[in-house]
Amino acid sequence: MIFALIIAPIVAGVLLVLVPRSAEAFAKWFGVALATIVFIIVALEPHASDESLRWLSRPFVANFHVGLGGIGYWIVLLLALSTACALAVTRVPRQRDFVAQMLVLLGAMTGLFVARDLLLFALFWDLMLIPVFLTLIAWSPTRSTATAWRYLVYNLVGGLALLLATAAYGVVQGTTDVLAANPSMLAPISPAWAFWIFLGFAFAFLIKTPVWPLHTWMPLTYADLPAPMVAVVSAVQSKAGLYGFIVVTSVLLPGPMHGAAPAMFVLGLIALVYGALAALVQDDAKRVVAYSSLSHLGLIVLAIFSFNPIALGGAVVYIVAHGLFSAGLFIVLGEVERREDTRLLSRLGGLGARNPKLAGGLTILALATLGLPGLCGFAGEILILTGVYRAGFVWPAVVALIPIIIAAAYMLRVLQGLMNGPEVADVPQRRDMTPLEMLALAPLVIAIVLLGVNPGPVAASSRALTSAATALANVQTQSQSGIAYCKQALLDQRRNAMERAQRYLASLPRDVNGRPIVPTAQPATIGSVQEPSCLRYPDVMAAAVKATAK
Amino acid sequence: MTPHLIVPFGSADWAAVAPPTVVGVAALVVILADLMLPRRARRISAIAIGIVGLIVAGIIALQGWHHPYVAFGGAFIEGGFAIVFEGIVIVAAIFSLCMSYGFARDDQIGGAIALMLWSATGAMLMAGAASLMMIFLGLELLSLALYCLCGLAARASAREAALKYLILSSTASGFLLYGMALLFGATGSVALAALANPPISAALFDIGCGMFLVGLCFKLSLAPFHVWTPDVFEGAPLPVTAFMSVVTKAGALAAVARFAYAALPQRDHAAILIPLWIVAAISMIVGNVGALAQTDIKRLLAYSGIAQLGYIVAAMAGTSALGLRYAIFYLGAYMFMNLGAFAVVTLLSRENDEGSRLASFAGLGYRQPVLAGLMTFFLLALAGLPPTAGFIGKILILATDVNTGYAWLAVLLIVGTAISVYAYFKIVRAMYARTIGTPVLPRFVPASALPWVGVALCAIATLGLGLYPFAPSDILPLVR
Repeated sequence: MIFALIIAPIVAGVLLVLVPRSAEAFAKWFGVALATIVFIIVALEPHASDESLRWLSRPFVANFHVGLGGIGYWIVLLLALSTACALAVTRVPRQRDFVAQMLVLLGAMTGLFVARDLLLFALFWDLMLIPVFLTLIAWSPTRSTATAWRYLVYNLVGGLALLLATAAYGVVQGTTDVLAANPSMLAPISPAWAFWIFLGFAFAFLIKTPVWPLHTWMPLTYADLPAPMVAVVSAVQSKAGLYGFIVVTSVLLPGPMHGAAPAMFVLGLIALVYGALAALVQDDAKRVVAYSSLSHLGLIVLAIFSFNPIALGGAVVYIVAHGLFSAGLFIVLGEVERREDTRLLSRLGGLGARNPKLAGGLTILALATLGLPGLCGFAGEILILTGVYRAGFVWPAVVALIPIIIAAAYMLRVLQGLMNGPEVADVPQRRDMTPLEMLALAPLVIAIVLLGVNPGPVAASSRALTSAATALANVQTQSQSGIAYCKQALLDQRRNAMERAQRYLASLPRDVNGRPIVPTAQPATIGSVQEPSCLRYPDVMAAAVKATAK
Repeated sequence: MTPHLIVPFGSADWAAVAPPTVVGVAALVVILADLMLPRRARRISAIAIGIVGLIVAGIIALQGWHHPYVAFGGAFIEGGFAIVFEGIVIVAAIFSLCMSYGFARDDQIGGAIALMLWSATGAMLMAGAASLMMIFLGLELLSLALYCLCGLAARASAREAALKYLILSSTASGFLLYGMALLFGATGSVALAALANPPISAALFDIGCGMFLVGLCFKLSLAPFHVWTPDVFEGAPLPVTAFMSVVTKAGALAAVARFAYAALPQRDHAAILIPLWIVAAISMIVGNVGALAQTDIKRLLAYSGIAQLGYIVAAMAGTSALGLRYAIFYLGAYMFMNLGAFAVVTLLSRENDEGSRLASFAGLGYRQPVLAGLMTFFLLALAGLPPTAGFIGKILILATDVNTGYAWLAVLLIVGTAISVYAYFKIVRAMYARTIGTPVLPRFVPASALPWVGVALCAIATLGLGLYPFAPSDILPLVR
């Protein structure tokens, strides 16, 4: 079943060549139907069991092992949803071929997020670049292929590093079928190997995410891709790197992952601030959204490398949330561009008067992007910031707040530049969104609200990082609401604090009565990373001291 | 060692060389048929007889699987290793014949096909050769036929290619022969197995090994002995280029593999072979960098072949048994993806124009979407991208290099691959880009549907080997 989810779109995309070129509407609705079917199947089968076929026995074991579970489940749902919505509003030249590329992309990315084998993961990682490259070449608005080359060179260099790291991991571990395995069952890897393998993975993931200074392919690519494809690429493909950090490196290579955390924090913060500032000054509306993606994804990098369960839950929520609103934004901007033949903020204005529905759609999406409470952006941001702060990274959390404020500025600038203000005379004002186009945007908006109100199930998927961590855990955690989830996470932290406090007390010198001498907290150390975090729970400390005295 | 020569050779010895013999005899039949049949039946009959002969040879060769036999006093070993390489030569020759329908004039076709079959015979002899004499015999049979074939086209560049190939290849044969003579002087035997004995003079032995390897590296067109390849590939007729790109390399690779794996004395085995791995590393980089600037597909595939052979030799680094299997696997994968690309070019060629210029690919994605899609697939395979045999083949080579402690080769392989992507995707861009000012070439029907068969089979094999990587086991021992 899961194999079919991967193979069917790819085969359908390849076979679309056999359909006559004039059957544009057929191709489009066929694509929409296929993506919808994928969505429905995935939605109905949250506990589908893993499927596996032997691929290689030597030099290391590799399997065609796929599973629908954990974080990948939500991303596949997001992928199918955004593909269906984007295809429904597709209106490009040579539509049949374009739909074919979209379907191949759908299959390849589904494969990436259901792969439970590292080699299979690497296969789909490289495969998903090809339809985007072909689209950049054949549908480039400028008839130049510079963007396509930049996209391919950056991402493929990353992909090859991933390949080398995968091969090395396979040789060292003896198998690459590890993404669903219990981490405690894996053989430990020597630090030297772990370092180099991590370097290969991290390089690939950082390019894909992207983070500064590896991001230069991204704004160009987003600006040149046709709207339906950029909606899917920004919604899902850009999450592949973050997904990789969460399910691959943090599980398989925890040592170097923790070692890299300071550097990653710096990179994440730079992306966060730089992206927000750059978004503030772009004239091209698509590039505003592209740079805002850079900023938002930097926030997720921060969350992943704070190693805090709340932040990780938030990261997953934000991955899905960003996918929803960026897909919606790119679809709406595509609609604007098709009506007005431009997307430059300086040339547009006052569209809202004639196109109230379009303006309404853009407003909801912009509000979700800038983190209005009740919509999905807020849910992710608050979880991430809480988690990062809880993990003891106070200053990063404070710095991360600034771009969130800037986000309001640039999103309102887009809204104002396109929809409000006086009408611009020299651009054509065509008719408002058709019911069909509204229908295509509606699922995304509904999902944005649903996720904003109840992020619990999505956040909980980060707990069961792998599908092997039994369906039972999923059932229990998914039934909790978001607030209950956060409460639970706080309680977990408290329980950890008790253990840490006992360990901390054991390390202290004792007085004559055998009681540990607890130093009074120095103002300089409060809130810093050096301070033992258990000191932040005075009641826990008191209980622990009492327990030691007995 | 001499008593071997007194023993009369029995029928089993002749049976061991039956596959190359059948191919050689098929060539004679082609020439006879050419004399007797009417003019318009000549092309198809020559190709048909050739293909039938090759298939029969393949079937005979497969009978020997699991029954290795050392024939002619150790000169020729029929067994797993030889059969695999004979199989590769046979399949490559069949695909080349599929592309040969529009090749040469009517009065040349019989001779041309016969030469191609004799060349394949030489490569098959090399596949089983276990003595220096036999290696040289096979190599010269292989090369002499190719010199003639290279000059067949009417273009001036074809004559240039033939002459260049003749001179440079003869020089390399000189190196090889001189190396063999020194090895014979050092060990007193022409049998590969005897090289493992302590040599009379270590200096003679080392110089002999070096010259022997230089000669073979030239035939493999590994950098820095590769300079002849692009010119010869460009000048030679298309089916001959396709044939050369696989068959000569398979034959020479069989000799190199036997030499590297089985012939050398254990103690300084690693030291003697280090230059070979360095040459492989240089080839990966030089071949891919060279491919970047090419605008002729044949030249591009020539440079690509230099790099791909670098990958294959890199798989043998550390001479692990798995490495040899992966080298063979990658050779097979390379054969399918490379010949697939050549078959696509054949389908684009017409009178006076071989369709190998980059310009003839412009807009192909809109004129012939199926053909363009298949070409993209073969180029993806050559670049080592999924879901193809090239991808899994590279993974296997990377893994075996890391495993045997040659991680630096793995890193260079990745660097080379990264460079190669630009070269291959340049063709993809030409096929799909919508640039202003490209002349719209009309769609036209190729002379024969045979290349389509080749394209389809190569595509299926490239995909199939990627999903089910099958590397033959049971190929050792290589020498007695």
